[in-house]
Amino acid sequence: MPFASYAFPYMRKPFALVVVAACSGGAGGKSPAKPVPPPLPGNLAATELPNIPAKIEVVTSAPTDASAPDKKSPLLDVMKAENEREMAALAKTGTPAYYLGYQLVEQRIVSLEAEGGALVTDQDDVARNLDVEVRVGSPELDNTRQLADDTNGLNAPLTRRGDVPFGDDKEAIASALWLETDRRYHEAVSALNYVKQDQQTLQKAKKYDPDFAHEPTETHIEAPAKLEFDKAQWVDRLKRCSKGALKGAATRGTCGVVFQLNTSYFVNSEGTVLQTSWTNAQLSVSVGVKADDGMNLSRLEQRFGVAPKDLPGDGEVDKMIKTVTDDLDALHDAPLAEPYVGPAILQGRASGVFFHEVFGHRIEGHRQKDTTSGQTFASYVGKDIAPEWLSVYDNPEIETLNGIQVNGFYRFDDEGVRAHKAQLIDHGKLVGFDMGRNPIAGFPHSNGHGRRSPGLPPVARQGNLVVEAAKSVEYADLEKMLIEEVKKQHRPYGMVFTDISGGFTNTSAFAPQAFKVNPVMAYRLYPDGHKELVRGIDISGTPLVALQSIRAASRQIETFNGVCGAESGWVPVSASAPSLLIEKLEIEKGFIPPDRPPILTAPAIQKEKP
Amino acid sequence: MKSLALVILFAPALAFAKKPPEPPAGPPSKAVTNEVLDEIAEEMNRDMKELEIPGAPKPYSISYKVTEVDVNDVSAELGQTMSKRNRHFVNLEARVRVGSPKLDNGNFVVAEATEIDGTAAINLPLEMDKRLAKRSTWLVTDQAYKEALIQLNAKLEARKAGGTLRPSDVPAWTETKPVVSEEPVLVPPLESLDELETRAKTISATLREQAGLRESHVALTSYLERRWYITTEGTAVTDTRRASGVLIEVEGQADDGQLVHNYFMRYGHTGKDLPTDKDLTGEAKHLGESIAALAKAPVMEHYTGPVLFEGEGAVGLVRFSLAPNLGGTPVPEGLSPQEARTFGGALTDKTGLRVMSPQLSVTDDPTAKDGDNKALIGGYKIDDEGVAAQKVDVIKDGVLKTLLLSRTPSQKDQVSNGHARRTADGGAFHGSATNLFLTAKGGVGRKALESRLISAAKGEGLKYGVVVRRFDDAAITGAPEFTRRELVQMIKTTDMQLPPPLIVAYKVYPDGKEELVRGTQLAEIPIRVWKDIIGTSTERTVYNFLAATESQLSLRLQGGTDDGFVPSGGIESAIITPDLLVKELDVFGSTAGERPTPAVPRPTGK
Repeated sequence: MPFASYAFPYMRKPFALVVVAACSGGAGGKSPAKPVPPPLPGNLAATELPNIPAKIEVVTSAPTDASAPDKKSPLLDVMKAENEREMAALAKTGTPAYYLGYQLVEQRIVSLEAEGGALVTDQDDVARNLDVEVRVGSPELDNTRQLADDTNGLNAPLTRRGDVPFGDDKEAIASALWLETDRRYHEAVSALNYVKQDQQTLQKAKKYDPDFAHEPTETHIEAPAKLEFDKAQWVDRLKRCSKGALKGAATRGTCGVVFQLNTSYFVNSEGTVLQTSWTNAQLSVSVGVKADDGMNLSRLEQRFGVAPKDLPGDGEVDKMIKTVTDDLDALHDAPLAEPYVGPAILQGRASGVFFHEVFGHRIEGHRQKDTTSGQTFASYVGKDIAPEWLSVYDNPEIETLNGIQVNGFYRFDDEGVRAHKAQLIDHGKLVGFDMGRNPIAGFPHSNGHGRRSPGLPPVARQGNLVVEAAKSVEYADLEKMLIEEVKKQHRPYGMVFTDISGGFTNTSAFAPQAFKVNPVMAYRLYPDGHKELVRGIDISGTPLVALQSIRAASRQIETFNGVCGAESGWVPVSASAPSLLIEKLEIEKGFIPPDRPPILTAPAIQKEKP
Repeated sequence: MKSLALVILFAPALAFAKKPPEPPAGPPSKAVTNEVLDEIAEEMNRDMKELEIPGAPKPYSISYKVTEVDVNDVSAELGQTMSKRNRHFVNLEARVRVGSPKLDNGNFVVAEATEIDGTAAINLPLEMDKRLAKRSTWLVTDQAYKEALIQLNAKLEARKAGGTLRPSDVPAWTETKPVVSEEPVLVPPLESLDELETRAKTISATLREQAGLRESHVALTSYLERRWYITTEGTAVTDTRRASGVLIEVEGQADDGQLVHNYFMRYGHTGKDLPTDKDLTGEAKHLGESIAALAKAPVMEHYTGPVLFEGEGAVGLVRFSLAPNLGGTPVPEGLSPQEARTFGGALTDKTGLRVMSPQLSVTDDPTAKDGDNKALIGGYKIDDEGVAAQKVDVIKDGVLKTLLLSRTPSQKDQVSNGHARRTADGGAFHGSATNLFLTAKGGVGRKALESRLISAAKGEGLKYGVVVRRFDDAAITGAPEFTRRELVQMIKTTDMQLPPPLIVAYKVYPDGKEELVRGTQLAEIPIRVWKDIIGTSTERTVYNFLAATESQLSLRLQGGTDDGFVPSGGIESAIITPDLLVKELDVFGSTAGERPTPAVPRPTGK
């Protein structure tokens, strides 16, 4: 069941979510009639809003910026030579390769974590991972074509990382490239045999989109980035931070950082040669406790930066600690929410997460041709799917948005294609998709969104998702509008969501095309203006209805930085959006595990009673 | 199971020089101090007294194992570093027993919930912190207690539904004398990452010039594990285990596509126990040459007749066919028959009966640090249940005297002999081998034993006999070679009862000529084979290894252990054995592991 989830937990070692393909009904029957989009539900009549756009100021960096040709690693020459040697030799085989790509990612990950004032994790690991992509057949039909009935994905390449020695020793590197190429080549040949057999049994009349798009040759060399930080100072800060976090009701209080230095070396048989290098840094403050009914409660505040020096100072960290501990104490005493349907506000960051899940994953190009996918938006191109004043795009070239560093910046994707801005919704109309090298009808080329974690085949993924509002109101007015809507709908209260921890969206055709997101901080807003924190709820719904229920946006944009997991692994992303007033949202009771809080009171950390 | 994933390497010891003096001891733990242990004990006492859910039984036993692991791992290929890393963590594990020693929650696998086993674990800080130690103890004890209650209920219900073969007069858990030994056991410090890296690069560079290799790697490890046990019975004891190891692994491919492997592995207490760089580079060269020979060797054909197990081959026979059956702990209730077989059990109820050749005796001695003047890594001061290690005469002159026991007895009046090691689903520790000594009367020299093999083969009308010198070990040689379809097929068709393939085996002809064969697989080895040992050597092999907790199939499917670097899961073990001549075994040829030959020649090498 293909699904994608947005995960924001503090991750030391990202784990790829495995996508288990659901049963395909096959395509061997009669050719289905071309789908006709149903009429859009809901009322698209525009609410009267001031013609003042939400404020967005971005700083971008073009893919070819920061070029430093003299910093080219000898590794690239070894990779290029072996790639050319392999292609020449494979051309003489019975099943020649038509594309061969090498991506070698060297990654240093520093993880420091303290709990309750003491260091619990101290790791500094370096790894080199090789991904070899071999394509046999032709771009029109190759080994990656999805079989009509491959429930368990047996024709897909095995998920694993290739191992490559450190250094730039030609013999050792070339040998590792050769071995992994050989393994992947034979795997691809085997897969193509099944594809061809499958195609023989499929109806010929149906037109299939090609499996691969050739893209322009690129050459770009960046200087190797440097990861600089004072470890002792960070350890001291984390200890102090975590000591402060473990208080009140919390039974867990941790502060951690993850610093990464990444250098990617990419060559392919189209002649592309890329060397990109970057750092990133992440600070997390996390607390947790079990509520009296057994519900696991947690609060997490994270900050991201390009380098450790970009992370918050002590003053900001103190605020993060106060936020999570105050919130946790409040959640501990908060009542459980009841199922609800009615108007709601998604505040900035929650709104960003909402868009990422409800819209962003469904706009990833390959899902429009995946036979097991719901293909939600495939037939809506050029049609209204959102209010006329709302536009959405994804632009990996953005470095900062409203002064905040965004997590989804990159210059070239993991398929060797330069990053492009992808306009997705233009004034309410669906106009495009995030595209990798897997073409779909009307979108034959990549826009540089093919991304992955090492070891997994790349697919189209989000980078920096930005929701623009051409009309907006101040946030305070948004709450007034919510109260008006509450009265109009005769509801006892409206909902305000200020933080969403994550969620998932089902894109499989074999299950409801629904999403579910998990709000952490959810308030009831009563007509008299007072708010009440509640816990234990999920927001659920279907994407088309949700998008058309948007009624207004705030002037202020907030950015959520995080890491997103899907079938091609974990990739850094951001989602920036104004706060949104939604006419109707459905709230469900969240899952409460059958557990109970500790039987005895904590031995040393008693909850402070007022 | 919530056992710690641990490290280490193994170490056969054929090429060991005389054991050098141990380096000076390093410092004690900075993370687990007496203050920390006092906090854990204080919380244990509070929990023992107060922990109770109304209407449910209280704990009757609580125990804690604190483990601090510090390991340096390096691997290299063709003279270049592949991996270089340190891992350091401290873990606190609580075990809670509810019910009574007569009938408790232990040794039972909850269907569809194997993780419910009355144990819980949490990481502790890398530095002394009393407050966190106490708080962590509180949390894990609480969780383990809740699990223990579920486990007990499930056990009682399962017995009502399906009955039990367990005699009612055999208790679930036996008492043991508390052990108090709180003085830190200091061991030599780890070899540094840089030192290991230099060695790995030097040794692996030897293989650059070797023709016919598909892949190779060299890995070194240096490891220590400190342990502390605290129980409500009064045990308060600490121990430290220390090992260093080296592994050289090579892979090639025969003309018909079958992959061929070989490896060399040694362990000792420290790096000083390992062969010198000169010896190791020699071994690497030898291994490289062996791959070229294996690639040209014919596939073994079906054979039934005498088989001589020499050196590491004899170790393999002991490891894969005898050692798994020496445990006396009853298999956890709730396991499927297939799962239960992985715990051996062929010698259960054979006490007092002859189970081997009368010339053979077996002793297991976790207190031994050396054997035949070579380091042994299988020992300890206390076992995984905090019971003092004991030397046990298991088989005397072919007659089974006792088995290796934990605190979960299989018979009335049976008590632990300090061999609780291997974890099993259900939270039980299984009695397992440590430093296993197999001794023989009437041994002859290796050459004479080979002559005896030829005579025995002739006597059976055979053209040759078979000598085995090394078993495969998927923890080392497993490689990511297979497609998803092939892996699924392997899961379906692999016979889990077969021993690992033989990677160094020869036909030996009457004129003494040896012919290397590949694709050699022994049929299932029944335990009665040990009654048919018709000859032993005077030479003995000392071999250290890690007994992986996963099956050979699992290791093969996942491409070896830990990305093919240093195997990092398993139980430190040693076997000391003479060569063993078996009267008759079935051997057959296997074409398993065939891959397409390379579409493009390797870019380097001759």
